[in-house]
Amino acid sequence: MGKSNSTIELKQVSKKFKNSDVINRMNLKVHAGEFLVLLGPSGCGKSTTLRMIAGLEDVTEGSVLIDGHDLQTMKNDGKAIAMVFQDYALYPNMTVYQNLEYALKVHKVDKQVRKQRIDQVMDTLNLADYADRLPSQLSGGQKQRVAVGRGMVKKSKIFLLDEPLSNIDVQLREKARDELQKLHEIDQQTIVYVTHDQLEAMALGDRIAVMNEGIIQMIDTPDNIYNQPANLFVARFIGTPQINIIEVVLQNGEMYLNDHPLLKVMGHGELAQQKYYLGIRPENIKCSMTPKGDYSLPAKIDSIVDYGRFIQLSLKLANGCLIKSIVNSCDFTEDDQIYIDFVESDTVLFDHSTEKNLYWGKHE
Amino acid sequence: MFKRKVNLWHVLLILIVLMAILPILFMISNSFKTLQDSYSSMLSLIPKNPTIDNFLTLNRQVNLLGLTWNTFLMATIVTLGKLLTGLLTAYAFRSYQFRGKMLIYLLFVATIFVPFTIVMIPNYLVIAKLDLLNNVVGVALPQLCDATGIMIFLKTMEKIPNSLIDAAHIDQIPNRKIFFNIVIPILKPSIVSVGAIFFINSWNEYVWPTLILKDKGSFTLPLALQNYISSEGGTNFPLAMALSTIMIILPLLIYLIFQKYILNSISNSGLK
Repeated sequence: MGKSNSTIELKQVSKKFKNSDVINRMNLKVHAGEFLVLLGPSGCGKSTTLRMIAGLEDVTEGSVLIDGHDLQTMKNDGKAIAMVFQDYALYPNMTVYQNLEYALKVHKVDKQVRKQRIDQVMDTLNLADYADRLPSQLSGGQKQRVAVGRGMVKKSKIFLLDEPLSNIDVQLREKARDELQKLHEIDQQTIVYVTHDQLEAMALGDRIAVMNEGIIQMIDTPDNIYNQPANLFVARFIGTPQINIIEVVLQNGEMYLNDHPLLKVMGHGELAQQKYYLGIRPENIKCSMTPKGDYSLPAKIDSIVDYGRFIQLSLKLANGCLIKSIVNSCDFTEDDQIYIDFVESDTVLFDHSTEKNLYWGKHE
Repeated sequence: MFKRKVNLWHVLLILIVLMAILPILFMISNSFKTLQDSYSSMLSLIPKNPTIDNFLTLNRQVNLLGLTWNTFLMATIVTLGKLLTGLLTAYAFRSYQFRGKMLIYLLFVATIFVPFTIVMIPNYLVIAKLDLLNNVVGVALPQLCDATGIMIFLKTMEKIPNSLIDAAHIDQIPNRKIFFNIVIPILKPSIVSVGAIFFINSWNEYVWPTLILKDKGSFTLPLALQNYISSEGGTNFPLAMALSTIMIILPLLIYLIFQKYILNSISNSGLK
């Protein structure tokens, strides 16, 4: 749109509610025009973070900067930020049109401009037919579009969305997701989007900030978050079925699970001979009926679940631990004895005590 | 079995409705009876010799229009006062965090438990000092605020989702506009029903206006009615009934007009 968009920066921001830390010394920088997703389990502080950016919640310590200006002291004319709420928060006494118009009217936007903007937004979101309806006469999906529309008509530089899709059904959610993405491509607003749905986060975010217990665990592109999770929490939180984490020991250049060697470790002399957590995504486990070599690990098929798109195998290892694998097709049946192989480049290695990613195979 | 149960309930409900409506029918029918008929057949619902003489007599003896106007004025001032103060106070409790909020709220609520008899004399002295005796304003003034209204409105406002107010804050809508454009319209059903109750209570009020209003020209309808119940000439029953009938017309109209809201606010809070 040729319009400069805003940056958002959180500097050492903490938030306490009655002595319990909700956000702990958070640093976060959202670039102009970026679509950033805050992802995390419920209660991790992602909504609080969003509300602090919106100015709805005071920060206990630190500062929130919009375009370099402190939110606490800057003049807020109500045009800088738009927000969509999880329950839509449509004014129940106003029609769809009036809902879109209200903020513009209060801030004395010219009537002509107002009408033009609203018509355009209603057109984009297919709301024109409902202009005179009250929110109580709309379906969930329609309400959600009105809520997004109310944010859009403001033409703000920052658009905040708090789980806007979690109250509508799955089929509609996918469609709404596509619409949001398209809108961002057109308007290039700076968007901060809160969700607990990882698929939504992966699909929408330029970058994703994974949060837990008030701390950003990792902030990166969807690809890196999936393939190189910064720590065990991120690894376990992202991806379904969950990543397999096994405890391994490094001995004489080989990774051992109990007494069975899993992998030959090439040129990682700097790794100490000790315990590690090895992570491998279910789709990266190679399964076969016969052992491929010394490193093939015997496993027994505990259960097979056919999801149509893929088949999920639950495998029981010799030490009793269960791991999951997904394959496109297989001739296995339950209780079959099979062999699994790991490829070093497909695995992620975590430190045993700090649970941080050691990025092996990435340094050389 | 179930059907029979329902029928029993209906019988009970019909009885209750009859108990409620009979005195009113009785009052209306007697207001159209002559004095003799009312003594000889007071309980019959159909007057033997229907007459409107009672109303004509009343019209000669008292200024009906003036009485109604006085009562209306007083009830309106009291109702609007209670609604405005109640809504504003409730909104303050709903939206602002301040020190001692709970204590102040409890003090408000505690005033409900102070009997009128206790505040009657102090209030009278204040009104007398303000030189507002014989004036409906004097009657209305001590009643402009009512903790019941605050309580009901606060409970209703607490049902408004926070996100709705947050959404308005994001758009930098001033509090005054949030109050008038968003909160008040949402609360409309409960405002109307609480307002109707305030109005009818005030309309029927007797003790406090008796203290303040001495001059017949400033009387309200209940005070005038008193004259026909125990005046020096003995009770003229049909006249008293006729005045009572006149007295219920306005509250009845108000109820009929706002019936939809009143029933609505009883069955739900108006928020979906």
